[in-house]
Amino acid sequence: MTSERVPTVFLVDDHALIRAGLRAELSGHVNVIGEADEVAAAIEIILERSPDVVLLDVHMPDGGGLAVLRAVNKEQPGVKFLALSVSDAAEDVIAVVRAGARGYVTKNIEGPELVEAIVRTAAGDAVFSRRLAGFVLDAFTNRSQDGLSAPSLDPELDQLTPREIEVLRLIARGYSYRDIAEQLSIAIKTVESHVSAVLRKLQLSNRYQLTNWATERHLL
Amino acid sequence: MRTVRIITVLLALFFALGLAAYMTIWMLVPRRDESSSIFTRTMNDRRDKEILFAVLIAVLTLFIAFITIGVGPPGVSLWFLALSCLEAVMVWRGASEDERENLRQVSSNLSKTRVGRTDGWRAVALRTGLGVIFVIWGISLMSRVSGEHGAAAYVLAGASALVLGLFALFAPWWIRSIQDLSMERRARVRAQDRADMAAHVHDSVMQTLSLIQRSANDPVEVTRLARQQERDLRSWLANPETFGAHSSTARTLSQAILDVESEIEDNYDISVDAIMVGDIPLDDATLALVAACREAALNAAKWSGARDVAIYVEVEAKQVSLFVRDQGSGFDPLAVAPDRQGIAGSIIERMRRHGGTATVTSSIGAGTEVELRLPRASSST
Repeated sequence: MTSERVPTVFLVDDHALIRAGLRAELSGHVNVIGEADEVAAAIEIILERSPDVVLLDVHMPDGGGLAVLRAVNKEQPGVKFLALSVSDAAEDVIAVVRAGARGYVTKNIEGPELVEAIVRTAAGDAVFSRRLAGFVLDAFTNRSQDGLSAPSLDPELDQLTPREIEVLRLIARGYSYRDIAEQLSIAIKTVESHVSAVLRKLQLSNRYQLTNWATERHLL
Repeated sequence: MRTVRIITVLLALFFALGLAAYMTIWMLVPRRDESSSIFTRTMNDRRDKEILFAVLIAVLTLFIAFITIGVGPPGVSLWFLALSCLEAVMVWRGASEDERENLRQVSSNLSKTRVGRTDGWRAVALRTGLGVIFVIWGISLMSRVSGEHGAAAYVLAGASALVLGLFALFAPWWIRSIQDLSMERRARVRAQDRADMAAHVHDSVMQTLSLIQRSANDPVEVTRLARQQERDLRSWLANPETFGAHSSTARTLSQAILDVESEIEDNYDISVDAIMVGDIPLDDATLALVAACREAALNAAKWSGARDVAIYVEVEAKQVSLFVRDQGSGFDPLAVAPDRQGIAGSIIERMRRHGGTATVTSSIGAGTEVELRLPRASSST
């Protein structure tokens, strides 16, 4: 098991109400060491305080979460990002995850689940929301109707194993990691490693179809 | 009695002797507890005698016709056959009441040869007579064929006469069976229509009525529900084909699912999150899938008590899978009363009608998941 230490968390969101809500939800479970409501301030304070996990709002003025992520990653690659978004902005989320966020959750997530996701991110595991799982299934299994099959440089990165597909499908159906482990008769740790492998493929894959897909979905 | 009849049939094979003998005995021997035989009764009635005479002439004419056509002089068997015919007429005329009843029953079995109720016995007799004559004529024409020149003409004429005769004999039966087939097909279509209709009425009207019951002391809400239902029914009556899920503008599966999502979120205090992998155009089967999905999500909204319901749709190469999952109160599927239409009619039966399957997994306290699978038509891409 990972260390007993409570992870330190930094909140980035331009809505004061949401930051307050998150603080209330998280207090007692994780150590919230600060918050910011704009990109420049966020970068500065994060680099100064080096939290374990940054809870990052995707939609913000001046470049949004992506700008924070890029700037911090350059200086301190050890800081892990968990993207937080309303569920309908797929292309922003994909961009953030591709830029290095360890996962993505929606804002209607329940308190205990959010805590679990933060702990998981701090431990270096990936956190998939239902939408992200659906997106990866769609993009990687080539079921999109547009017929766009991007040329890939590394076929291994563009293939999901049957087990990974199974895990993603269960996530998309709304199962928690614990439910998935039970359903597939495997350890939770194994579920986590499958999901981490998928996240790595998502981040390293050369398929530009990924962004295409997100843009298209947004236009619908 | 049975042995006598069997012997008669066997004898009938030899020059129709048995038939004639049987008829003669039938005619001459009075029935038990009857004083007179059929023969004496017929002879005592003037009208019966006249009819008998007329039939006699008809039979003789037929014989002469046969000889001229070329069947040749009638053999022994033909004479016996003619005799049997005459006797049959006598039996019919002279039979006592209960014997006549017997004969009627036998003849009602023959009525399968009639096309419709309107055909009288006269028409049947005419058709059968014509048919027999044409068949015999055809056979006789064909049997004349020898080595002579131009024999093919006879064969052709004979064959066509034969076909014509067979057609006259069997056409009614043939037409009847075709009619039966199309009638059965129509009945099946009607049953399917009724089932679709029942499912729709349940989805809309019954659901609304149950909502009205639950908010009976809120007149504003009741009015709103009633008005909405009225609008809904009107649009369905006006155009049942395109009435899919809530809105008729959806062209693809994902659009229809999004319509379901917003419809349920509008009407209930629950958030619906639909995730779609792949997409296909809507058709009858996918519309049914959407309707079943809507029903499942509605159930979650109304009964589960959960805050959100997750819909996941995946278009695979061979099938479309759809999952509706809530983490609410759940229920015991075995404890559902058999007359409840929600799951049985609107989900399981609806999917089955379109070649798909539906599985409902639920237990008390552990939420509910409805799994719908629909095989894809091979033609679509």
